[in-house]
Amino acid sequence: MKNGLFGRLFGSSGKESSRDIAKKRLQFALIYDKLEISDELLECLQQDIVDVISRYFEIDKDSLKLDIERQDDLSALVLNTPILSAKKNYD
Amino acid sequence: MKGKVIVITSGKGGVGKTTTTASLGAAIASLGKTCAVVDMDIGLRNLDVVMGLENRIVYNVVDLAHGRCQVKQAAIRDRKITGLYLIPASQSDNKNVLNTDDMSRLTKKLKEEFDYILIDCPAGIEQGFENSVTGADEAVVVCTPEVSAVRDADRIIGLLYARSITPKLIVNRIIPHMVVNGDMLSHKDVEDVLSVEMIGLVEMDDRVVAATNTGSYIIDDKTSKAGQAFTRIAGRILGDTSIPIQEPSYDQKGIWNKISSKLGIKK
Repeated sequence: MKNGLFGRLFGSSGKESSRDIAKKRLQFALIYDKLEISDELLECLQQDIVDVISRYFEIDKDSLKLDIERQDDLSALVLNTPILSAKKNYD
Repeated sequence: MKGKVIVITSGKGGVGKTTTTASLGAAIASLGKTCAVVDMDIGLRNLDVVMGLENRIVYNVVDLAHGRCQVKQAAIRDRKITGLYLIPASQSDNKNVLNTDDMSRLTKKLKEEFDYILIDCPAGIEQGFENSVTGADEAVVVCTPEVSAVRDADRIIGLLYARSITPKLIVNRIIPHMVVNGDMLSHKDVEDVLSVEMIGLVEMDDRVVAATNTGSYIIDDKTSKAGQAFTRIAGRILGDTSIPIQEPSYDQKGIWNKISSKLGIKK
């Protein structure tokens, strides 16, 4: 009955209302707005990560790459670095 | 006398900030407090025409902030409501003519003279916004039930929190029948998305436009829903927390809606 003539007459054909769509779009937009990261912040983060890893490994600092990867429902921080060797005497 | 400074802001333009400022100022003064409303939209002044005081401007907020006149000279007394004063924006300068130091001094000075100081913040998040929030004790964010306005409100709320101000929200221009039909965000939707404390809900009201046309106050139209809502918000601003936030009536009187709700096919 819901999708029949009766349902359509009363505007409840099961279609999502524009109100519901608006709310969902907003909720996603606000999450993404807050995930926006400045280059400056990314550089500082990269420096800190390099410092920490360098305590334990010899790494090639120049070919290190830090990225934010976004998919529909998640964001990931991806770090790629070639490890040259492990440090014997870490502090 | 030690007044309280409240900034009225929104991020997005055209959501009713200026009307809200004028109406709340008028309502606060009508409740017996002295209230100054300050137009911070330098270069695009509007609060004066909304209040019907455009013919009385001699000095403006820039003159006052730069010490070219006294508070008494810049504050224009309202034509009807005792205790209500307007400090107009300047029309010839740009937004950068004032800085935050000027504003700290200005708000301090105004606090000595008035119980409440309402700052009408310009749209945007540039210098005009910075100036308007400087010296503010509280903030009211105005937002309409539209995606663009809600998103900008969220941004503004974040900026206010960063300045240690906890804002309160007014949802303006709610059209109840559109909410019922699923064509407009409800105030609850907006509250869910922004998760901030509500201080009032104002329905769309044609009489606001008519009041603005003549430079009169919607709060003086005692049967107007928007006017009543603004008066209740003013009461809450003055600290009367017993005044309930009246929700717009979402019940539809239409015969078809009645039948469909009886049949349980419409929420």
